[in-house]
Amino acid sequence: MTTDHVDPDQRSDAERLPTRQDHYGASIGHDEEVVVIVGSGAGGGTLAYELTAKGIACVVLEAGPYLMPEDYENDEWASFQQMAWLDARTASGPYRVARDFPNLPAWVVKAVGGSTTHWSGATPRFRAYELKTRTYYGDIDGANILDWPITLEELAPYYDRAERAIGSTHRHGRPPLPANNNYKVFANGAEQVGYRFYATGPYGTNAEPYDGRPASIQDGFNFQGDKSTAKWSTAVREVPRALRTGRCDLRPGSQAVQITHDARGRANAVLYVDKDGSLHRQAAAVVCVAGNSIETPRLLLMSASALHPDGLANSSGQVGRNYMRHLTGSVYARFDKPVHMYRGETMAGIIADEARQDTSRGFVGGYYLETLSLGPAFLAAFIDPGEWGPGFTEVMDAYENTAGLWIVGEDLPQETNRVTLNASVKDQWGLPAADVWFQDHPNDVAMRAHGFSRADMLYEAVGALGVHHTPPYPATHNLGTCRLSERAEDGVADRWGQAHDVPGLFISDGSQMTSGAAANPTLTIVALAIRQAEYIADRLAKGAG
Amino acid sequence: MPDPTTSSVETDGRRTLVRLLRAAYPHPRFPDGPYERTADAILAQAADSLWHRLVLTEGLATLDARAAAAGEQAAFADLDDEAALALLRGVEDAEFFVLIRGVAVVSLYDDAEVHRLLGYEGPSFEQGGYLHRGFDDLDWLPTPRIEEYDGPDQLVEVAPDDEPTTAPTQA
Ligand SMILES: Cc1cc2nc3c(=O)[nH]c(=O)nc-3n(C[C@H](O)[C@H](O)[C@H](O)COP(=O)(O)OP(=O)(O)OC[C@H]3O[C@@H](n4cnc5c(N)ncnc54)[C@H](O)[C@@H]3O)c2cc1C
Repeated sequence: MTTDHVDPDQRSDAERLPTRQDHYGASIGHDEEVVVIVGSGAGGGTLAYELTAKGIACVVLEAGPYLMPEDYENDEWASFQQMAWLDARTASGPYRVARDFPNLPAWVVKAVGGSTTHWSGATPRFRAYELKTRTYYGDIDGANILDWPITLEELAPYYDRAERAIGSTHRHGRPPLPANNNYKVFANGAEQVGYRFYATGPYGTNAEPYDGRPASIQDGFNFQGDKSTAKWSTAVREVPRALRTGRCDLRPGSQAVQITHDARGRANAVLYVDKDGSLHRQAAAVVCVAGNSIETPRLLLMSASALHPDGLANSSGQVGRNYMRHLTGSVYARFDKPVHMYRGETMAGIIADEARQDTSRGFVGGYYLETLSLGPAFLAAFIDPGEWGPGFTEVMDAYENTAGLWIVGEDLPQETNRVTLNASVKDQWGLPAADVWFQDHPNDVAMRAHGFSRADMLYEAVGALGVHHTPPYPATHNLGTCRLSERAEDGVADRWGQAHDVPGLFISDGSQMTSGAAANPTLTIVALAIRQAEYIADRLAKGAG
Repeated sequence: MPDPTTSSVETDGRRTLVRLLRAAYPHPRFPDGPYERTADAILAQAADSLWHRLVLTEGLATLDARAAAAGEQAAFADLDDEAALALLRGVEDAEFFVLIRGVAVVSLYDDAEVHRLLGYEGPSFEQGGYLHRGFDDLDWLPTPRIEEYDGPDQLVEVAPDDEPTTAPTQA
């Protein structure tokens, strides 16, 4: 611990930002071979807590600053500037994001807690068939479909633990959140069109005090970090708890730039740059990469070596491929009376009726409908990028009387949807930026059209005067770029997330996902991390690592 | 050809710009203030970049030239809404207009006065959220169920016709 350490709560705002301390928690030497975790979001933060709670020392390298709840801003653009990942990145390919947001393929967070600071809280589980997509969907042209090496039965106990950690409403005795205005429109529409499986959750925000955190005050701004801490994130739960074990050394402002291995091919260290650009080496017994599905493959690709000429752990050629972003679209409906959709918990409204496999609808896989609200600032930017004129302002003018929902469904993995190193664009450290190339599969297009038509029916059933369809915006769900597979030639990591090619190297975030399912991913990322922590602890106890 | 070495864009240009913004983003109930602040944000951006300034100066002058050529014998700023909109449709992809839209769509709607006009209440945490300020005050629809469905219907995860022909291997 540095000598100038003071309790973060005693500092002024100016002193707190962007990175108040070089490190928090235990002081672990750079030569100590510990578990090194890259990233502190859903995957990394969970792993850090689960491992340190079992007595295992961890160094957590986090590229972003450690923001406290009082730092979060109730202001869309200010919050975005404060914590979004804005380092150089490019979007390419035929999808519209590449045209509208060429430097912002994804909307993810660079801060302790990762994108769980921005997340809203929907926590559905995967369904059994969604882990066996090759079996259920068959071989689909243009797609690269594979069954997971894990079944739902194996995951179920970890889902239970993840739901308790997150405090999901409607689960394990946690009460539901009340209906906010946006939900009232959504649920009434659902009932009118014959949907049954709707509710205000499961949702990762407290309806009543739980786990040392307060009940929701319905303050909105779920996408801007939650100042009240009623919403779960690893920044308010797992990371502080890991630090309290005395076995976690958290280093914010520390970006991993390379993973190295020893002569026998075992992962043995992580090189990282601190916020001043100095390079450090942290020795490792085990390396867990949880940088979210764009940075994780980027780091592996930047870690090519004589033994791994195409990138670390990439003998399959699958590192960076099968990038999934979920099938998304949003629908905003205008009414003749006020809605005030922004008041309350943003996404506390989920319809599950379409989350099933029924190809009579014209596509494989399924989707959820979830309540969604943006403030005028983000709505203007995302509702129809580049649009202007009276058609655009009509939608904005109706803001007060508008209800919104999001379509989130399974998009199919495709080999050509891919994260690569962009040799011509460098980040602030001079390292090649990630490029994300993406194209919808025809199945995605068919599912989105179905989702839009169902949402229109839903809103028209409760009297919508007009509906507006918003195209996918920069991806909040990024998945699949280091997928799990039974066989080494089909994917990057095995059933525990350990790289097929590199002992001691684990993939610990959403990039593990062999298929994306319809469900929002975070619950599954957390469940996988809890399961992986058990495996790593067990291996270390046996001296195997 | 306008002269970008003088500050003409800040004086004559501002008036054209405000008119352009109103035509491109027409909100009859907005006063001039939000449009003027947005125009200033665009001018500030132009002041930071020589290229933007060149593009903007030329683009705004073009609008006047086009208005004159269309026999309106008026500057762009004097056109009525319909004529101004039609003229802007014709320059939709011009670099200066793309530049203006890029700043406008962020600035105009990130404005406290605009938020109030649109019925958006802005920061909420300091005021105790919306728990006691109307998060559930919508009264023109019945209050729906918030619990998960527990009636007789079952969600069929896989339609009978979609069961794999060869049974999946059991775990
Ligand atoms: C607006 C929004 C709403 C969302 N809503 C939901 C929802 O309702 N339900 C749901 O399930 N999911 C939701 N998500 C998605 C969810 O946030 C992510 O799926 C989840 O956080 C991903 O976990 P992760 O561990 O893969 O990555 P992250 O949580 O993004 O964490 C990655 C961390 O790694 C750090 N990092 C990256 N590279 C490096 C490096 N080289 N060195 C050091 N650190 C690095 C990053 O700074 C970041 O902190 C939402 C996301 C957003 C943005």
